[in-house]
Amino acid sequence: MGEGKSEVMQGTLDLMVLKTLYAMGSQHGFGIARRIEQVSDGVLDLNEGTVYTALLRLQQQGWIVSKWGISENNRRARFYSITKQGAKQLDREAENWQRVAGVMERMLKLERQG
Amino acid sequence: MWAKLKGQALQRREDDAFIDEISEHITLLTQHYRAQGMSAEDATHAARRQFGNVTQLKERQRWQRGMLSPAEWGRDVRFGMRMLAKKPGLHAAMVIALALGIGANTTVFSIVDAVLLRPLPYAHPERLMEVRSQDSTALQDGAVSYPDFFDWRAQNHSFTQLVSYRDDSLTLTGVERAAHLDGEIVSWNLVPLLGVNPELGLGFRPEDEKLGARVVLISHALWVSQFGSDPRVVGRTMQLSGEAYTIEGVMPASFRFPADAPQNTFWTTLAVDNDGTPGATTANRGDHEFAAMGRLKPGISEAQANAEMKAIAAGLSRKYPASNTQNNSAHVQSELKSMLGDTRTLLLVILGAVGLVLLIACGNVGNLLLVRARERAREMAMRTALGANRARLVRQLLVESLFVSVLGGLAGCTLAFVSTPAVLRLINDSVPRAADAGVNLPVLSFALAVSLASGLIFGLVPAITSARGDLLSPLKESGRSETDVRNRLGSLVIVVQVALGIVLTAGAGLLATSYSHLAHSDEGFKPDHLLTFMFETPDSRYMNNRSDFYRQYFEKLRALPGVEAAGGSLILPMTDNSMHISFENPEHPLPPGQLEDARFDLVSTNYFRTMKIPLLSGRDFSDADTVKAPPVMIVSRGFAMKFLHTENVIGKRLKPEAGNDGPVMREIVGVVGDVRHGATARDLDPGYYLPATQLPRACFMHSVVRTRVEPLSLEPAVKNLVASMDRNIPVTDVRTMQDRIGLELAQPRFAMVLLSAFSGLALVLTLVGLYGVMAYSVARRRREIGVRLALGAPRAMVFRMVLQQAALLVIIGVGIGITATLASGSILQSYLYGTGPRNPLVLAGVCVLVATTGLLAAYLPARRAMQVDPTVALRYE
Repeated sequence: MGEGKSEVMQGTLDLMVLKTLYAMGSQHGFGIARRIEQVSDGVLDLNEGTVYTALLRLQQQGWIVSKWGISENNRRARFYSITKQGAKQLDREAENWQRVAGVMERMLKLERQG
Repeated sequence: MWAKLKGQALQRREDDAFIDEISEHITLLTQHYRAQGMSAEDATHAARRQFGNVTQLKERQRWQRGMLSPAEWGRDVRFGMRMLAKKPGLHAAMVIALALGIGANTTVFSIVDAVLLRPLPYAHPERLMEVRSQDSTALQDGAVSYPDFFDWRAQNHSFTQLVSYRDDSLTLTGVERAAHLDGEIVSWNLVPLLGVNPELGLGFRPEDEKLGARVVLISHALWVSQFGSDPRVVGRTMQLSGEAYTIEGVMPASFRFPADAPQNTFWTTLAVDNDGTPGATTANRGDHEFAAMGRLKPGISEAQANAEMKAIAAGLSRKYPASNTQNNSAHVQSELKSMLGDTRTLLLVILGAVGLVLLIACGNVGNLLLVRARERAREMAMRTALGANRARLVRQLLVESLFVSVLGGLAGCTLAFVSTPAVLRLINDSVPRAADAGVNLPVLSFALAVSLASGLIFGLVPAITSARGDLLSPLKESGRSETDVRNRLGSLVIVVQVALGIVLTAGAGLLATSYSHLAHSDEGFKPDHLLTFMFETPDSRYMNNRSDFYRQYFEKLRALPGVEAAGGSLILPMTDNSMHISFENPEHPLPPGQLEDARFDLVSTNYFRTMKIPLLSGRDFSDADTVKAPPVMIVSRGFAMKFLHTENVIGKRLKPEAGNDGPVMREIVGVVGDVRHGATARDLDPGYYLPATQLPRACFMHSVVRTRVEPLSLEPAVKNLVASMDRNIPVTDVRTMQDRIGLELAQPRFAMVLLSAFSGLALVLTLVGLYGVMAYSVARRRREIGVRLALGAPRAMVFRMVLQQAALLVIIGVGIGITATLASGSILQSYLYGTGPRNPLVLAGVCVLVATTGLLAAYLPARRAMQVDPTVALRYE
């Protein structure tokens, strides 16, 4: 897999979506967006449409599946849930992310020397 | 069209669902903001802003989904077509190479299908076995005699039915125009054996084998032509060679027996071969001239049947040593295999050869695609950089190559429609069942499968290697150091092509050498200006006055204008017939059953003069050799040497086992030259001749006329002559001797022509392939060559450098090809005459031919390399 730099943010959103579905079970796109907004505490300026791109991408990888259900509004909505493969992918990605985050944290803690 | 509509419908449904999904999202988001206290208008704006550009998202979604949708395949195909149209020359070259390869394969396959693959037209044909008598020491299969056959049929437990059969021809009279009919003499159980019922009437009954029974089953064609499709024909009689036969049934239109004898129009029982005397054919255990076919009982295998029949034959040999010493075993073999014999191997060799041609064509297309892929490396890198994924690119390239292969397949099928009839004409009837070949559904499916398979073969490797390419170097377009996988792959393809080309060309060269040997070999007589034809004089009317009839006939024949000489013979050379009869030699007595035998013929006076078979010593037969004169015979020189070990045999006496009233001692009065009896016979055949005048009950069958004019121009005259003597005698099989030889050579000629065509094709394809690779290599090395020239390298050196590169590939290929040819030479062995399978002259010639072709292909690119202008080359890059 050749991953360009532009995919870093995309990868982050995929990870967030996966984690949300893992933590909260079956959710529709709106619910996922709310959960991410809630967790990010308003820090992240999420373009909510991109959630759907991430959802489609994750579906195509086989990490999540969708089925039709009824929203709070009593309207037709697609509900997404994580698959076994998706859970594994989440583990891998989370571990990877934590490693990178740890490195970043240590980097940023470096004092100016000399 | 349908797939496209379906694809679009699917697309729309997906779009609708997606719009539903996101509009619901925006509604919920708006409500969410309202709940936080925004005004309705503000909430709507905020939700829109927060969600982002819906149209763009929709497009993006559709694009990403599309990677899996059929509509996108259509787009790939359209794109592929545009790419093809962009480089029409290159792609036309690919399509032509494939069309030739697939066309040749389809043509050959249509014949293989008809001959090898189609089952025999009987019930459960895989259970049908040919049973042949065998000489266990020489392991030579032979025919069976009636008494042996009756014992086989009574004693065996392996077959539900065992049937004897032999070819025959009879004259149909009592109709407007007497007709010569081909048919088969069989035992009564033919219908139960084959499991094909007559469309009218029943089959034979066991009592139809008894003395005097004259019953017949007729073909559908004969029923239509001679009996006006009379539904009450069963029970009627027909006159065959002067005897009345009762019609017991009409066989269906598709019926054939034997399967390779579509000309047969009647089947009668072996009662015909029983004249009621103690010496009748049905009672003569020494008369080995019949074939036998059996149907295996359920649960019995070919091997079990083989073992049982061998045991039965061995028992008979012990019981009847006088007649069966050389028939002490038997051989059971599947009917189809037995019918095809060596032809099977020949067809497989041809199929293999044509497969190699396709492989070479695929190699070419693959190489062109590699070149193309390198040219498109930039495009691919660009598309990858823009986010296309690799599977998608591989698919795009595969679609393009499949497109080429399907176009090639279509063109190939068209070619096959034209070439199959031409090849069938070439085969004539030298390959059993080939006449049924045609480009039909199974053949077309084969062509389609081959096209798709070749599309995958030549398409997959270039597709994968080019999609794997890294992003940067092609974009920077400085990948000149790239003597990479693809270059090596291209060279490998060339080496394999050259090697295959050598194998094919060597095969063709050997067959051509062999054919030329056959066509120019000495027949022992002069085949030009000879007209041959046959008719029979039925026993029912000519038993006692045959000599008179023939004497008058030959007198009149010789008197015809344009006739130089004329004679008659029982078995003419080049008629795919022979008869071997044993003889006693009083100087070297042998026990009965171990007597030596040799080819036998019964000839008229003037026969040798007509054929121009040289009389080496002694005298020819004359009209004075009558029944009352002392019995005489003439032998060939080879006969004298082989059996009497001297050329001075005039006056010696032998007792051939042939004669109207039993064998008599005969004096040798003449020695003639040996004759080649079949055009593909390896040796001149030693034989002996008896004068027909001393066996007046025997019939001549064949007449041969040496003409001063074009032989066939005499056809009406001889037909009129015979009709004027007896209008119930039809003259058939009118051919020139040259024509007969041509027919006998049809199989080797067809093998040679096909293999030569294929090897020619292979050479052209290899030439084009090598040219393409060298031209491309030179184009890529322009800069390097420019630098060399700029630094003072002589132009001749550049020229040599390119040629050396090509020569290396060719030499490796030639080496491998020669090794493969030497290793596989024995496959062709049995088809070669006058040359071994490893004829050094042929192999050397082939090497020179292929190497010259290879260097020719490299010449133009090398010249172009030499003419590179350093300043232009350096600036250009």
